[in-house]
Amino acid sequence: MGDLAQGISHSLVRMASFTGKELREVVRRPGVLASLILGPFLVMFLFGLGYSGYRAPFATEIVVPAESDFSRTAEDYESLAPGRLEITQVGEDRDAAEQRLGDGDIDLLVIVPDSSAEELRAGNQTTIRVAWNQVDPVYDQLATLATSILVSSLNAEIIKRTAAAGITLAEGELGPEVRDISPEVIARPTTAETENVAPTAPQVLNFFGPAVFALVIQHLAITLTALSMVRERLSGQMDRFRVAPVTSMELLVGKYIAYAVLSLAVSAIVGVLLVGVLGVPLLGSVALLIGIVMLLTFASLGFGLLISLVADSERQAVQLSMLILLASVFFSGFVLPVTDFAEWMQYIAYGLPVTHGIAGLQELMLRGRVVDVWMLGVLLGIGVVLYVGSLLRLRRVLRTAD
Amino acid sequence: MTAPPSTEPIIVARDVSRAFDGRTVVDGLSFDVDPREILGVIGPSGSGKTTTVRMLTGTLGRTSGSIRVLGEDPMRFSRRARGRIAYMPQLFSLYEDLSAQENVGFVAALYGIGPFKRRRLIRHALDVVDLTDARHRLARDLSGGMQRRLELACALVHSPDVLFIDEPTAGIDPLLRQAIWDELRTLKQEGRTLLVTTQYVTEAEYCDRVALIADGELVALDTPDELRKLVFGGDVLDVTAERAVDPDMIRQVSGITGVRQPGPRQLIVTTDDAASTTPQIIEALRQAGVGVSSLEEHQPTFDEVFTGLVEQRRAMRGQEARSATEREHAGVRGG
Repeated sequence: MGDLAQGISHSLVRMASFTGKELREVVRRPGVLASLILGPFLVMFLFGLGYSGYRAPFATEIVVPAESDFSRTAEDYESLAPGRLEITQVGEDRDAAEQRLGDGDIDLLVIVPDSSAEELRAGNQTTIRVAWNQVDPVYDQLATLATSILVSSLNAEIIKRTAAAGITLAEGELGPEVRDISPEVIARPTTAETENVAPTAPQVLNFFGPAVFALVIQHLAITLTALSMVRERLSGQMDRFRVAPVTSMELLVGKYIAYAVLSLAVSAIVGVLLVGVLGVPLLGSVALLIGIVMLLTFASLGFGLLISLVADSERQAVQLSMLILLASVFFSGFVLPVTDFAEWMQYIAYGLPVTHGIAGLQELMLRGRVVDVWMLGVLLGIGVVLYVGSLLRLRRVLRTAD
Repeated sequence: MTAPPSTEPIIVARDVSRAFDGRTVVDGLSFDVDPREILGVIGPSGSGKTTTVRMLTGTLGRTSGSIRVLGEDPMRFSRRARGRIAYMPQLFSLYEDLSAQENVGFVAALYGIGPFKRRRLIRHALDVVDLTDARHRLARDLSGGMQRRLELACALVHSPDVLFIDEPTAGIDPLLRQAIWDELRTLKQEGRTLLVTTQYVTEAEYCDRVALIADGELVALDTPDELRKLVFGGDVLDVTAERAVDPDMIRQVSGITGVRQPGPRQLIVTTDDAASTTPQIIEALRQAGVGVSSLEEHQPTFDEVFTGLVEQRRAMRGQEARSATEREHAGVRGG
C-alpha cells in the first residue's frame, strides 16, 4: 500500500515536472505566444474593421438598338436591380461596348432586344444578352444572380407594358372593370416579405469571430506540441527520459495538462477580446464554451503529437502545422460550408478538430445552444484515438532507440 | 549489523557488438566495472565510446552480446534500477529557456523527488559543480563550460549509485577539466561507480582502470600503470651518463629486457622491475668507467601509451591477416 502511494506520488511529481517545464518554456518566449494569439486576433480585428460586407455594384453598360422601344434612361435600369447595378452608359454602339468590356472598363454588358413588346404580342421570345469578363468564381456567381434579377425585372417590365396595351384594347369588349387590374399586378402577381429569424444578426465579424477563435486554439495546440516534442527528440532529451524512471503516459499527461492550461488561458484572453472588445455575442453558457475549448484542445494536441512523431526537424514540424492550418481554412467550414464539398471530402473535413470546433462555437455563441451535439462526440473521439496512438508510439520511442 | 558492501561487478559487458546499416561500430566489447570504481573509456572521436555508453544505459539496443547493469539487462531496466542510474549525455540537452536551478529541478522531478526534498538536493548539486551563483541564469546564457557542469549537476541531483558520463570534458579548458575530474574522484570516494568516456588520453591518469577503444574494438583494459608496462614491456628508466656510452655496457644486467639510445649520453632502459635493476645499472656503468649524471623512472605520456597500444594492435592484426593468407595459399597448393 505504501509502495503504491509512493508510486502514485512519484508519478504525479513527474507529470507536474513536464507541466511546469512546458509552461515555463512558453512563458519565457512571450514573442512566440504573442504571435500565435495576437497574430490571428489582429488579422481578425483588421478583417472586421476593414470588411463591410458591402460589394460595389457592377459597372454596367446598356446597349439599346436604335429601333428598340426600350428606355434609354440609366435610372430605369438601375431600378430593375437596386444596389446591384451602376449604369455607366446607355448607348447604341454594341462594338464599342464590347471593347470596353474586354478592356475591363465595365463589369457587365447588357444588350436589350429590338422590340420586345411586339415580339411578345406576336408570340415570340426575345433574348437579352448579358456578358461579363471575370475569372473570380464568387464574382461569377454574383454576376449570374444579378443577371437573373435583371432579366426577371425586364421581363416583368415587358409584361407590364404589354398588359397595359392589352387592357386598353380589352376595355371596349370586357367593360370598365378591367381597368381596375393594374398592369403591375398582372406583371407581378406575388411579392415577398423576408425575415431572418436567427437570434443574432448575420454580421461578418460575428460569424467569423468564433471560427477564428477555434482556429487559434487548434493552431496553438498543434504548433506548440509538435515543436515541443520534436525539440525533445532532436536535443537528445529522449535519452534522458529513457534512462530516468519516466513512463510515456507521465510524459504525455504532463504535456497535455500544460497545453490545456495554456489553451484555457489563451481562450480566456481571446474570448474576452472577442466578446468584450469586438462585441461578438455569446448567447450560450460559459461552461459549455470551456467544454468545447477543452475538447478542441484535446483533439488538437493529438494532431500536434502526431506531427512531432513523423517530423524530422523543427522546420518540418512547422511546415506540417502550417499545412494543417491551410487545410483547416479551406475544408473546415471557415470559408466555404463543409456541405459544399464532395461527400468523400466531407469525411476529411470532419477529421479536422477545427471543423467541429467552428460549428460548436458558432452555434453556442450565435444561437445559444449546440444543435449538432454529435460533433462534440466526434471531437472527443478524435482526441482519444490520437492520444492512444501517440501513447503507443511514444512508448516504443521511449523503450529504446533503434 | 549492516551487510558488507557488494563486491559483485556493477557493470558486466560480454562480447557486445552494435552495427548500423551493416557497418560494425562496436565489435565484441567485454569488460566489468566493479563497485566504487572509475572506468575510463578512452578512444579517439568515432571509436564507438558513445555507442557503448548508450547500449549500457539502455538508450540504444545492441546487435549481439549481453549487458548487465546492477544485475539487470538495460533493455528491460526496472524503475528501481533506473532510479539508481544517471546518464550525462555528450551534447548539451537541457532546456535553454529554463534557469540552471529549474533545469536541475526538472531532472530531479523526473526521478520522483518531491518539491521540498528537491530544493535541498538542487542546492547541493549546484554547490558541487560550483554553479550556485549562476543558479538563476538561463541555461542559454551560460558558457560552454558552465553548461557541462550544469549537465553534471543534473546527473548528480538524485544521488545515483552508477553514473554514465559521456565526454564530460569535451571542449573544456584544462583548469575546468581538472575541476571536473576532481569532482568525479570525490563521487568515487563517496562510493559511486562511474563509467566515463573521454577522448583526452591524458585523462586516463584519473581513472582506476582504463578501457582503450579504437575502431570499435577493445585495445586494452587495465590500470594506467599496467597499461604503460604493457606497451613498453616493463618499467622504463631514463639514464643520462657523464660521457658517451655504449648500450652493450649494461645489456648483461639481469632483468633488462631492452635498451634504446636516443642520444650519445642517453639510454632508455626497459626492465622487469625498476627498483632492483637501478643499482645494478649504476654499478655496470661505473665498472665501464662511466659516471651517471641522472637516472629516473621514465613516465611515458598516455599519448605514447595509446599510440603504442594501437600500433601493437594493428601490427598483430596485420600478422594475423598475413598468416591467414599463407594458410589459404598452403591449402590451395595442398588441395
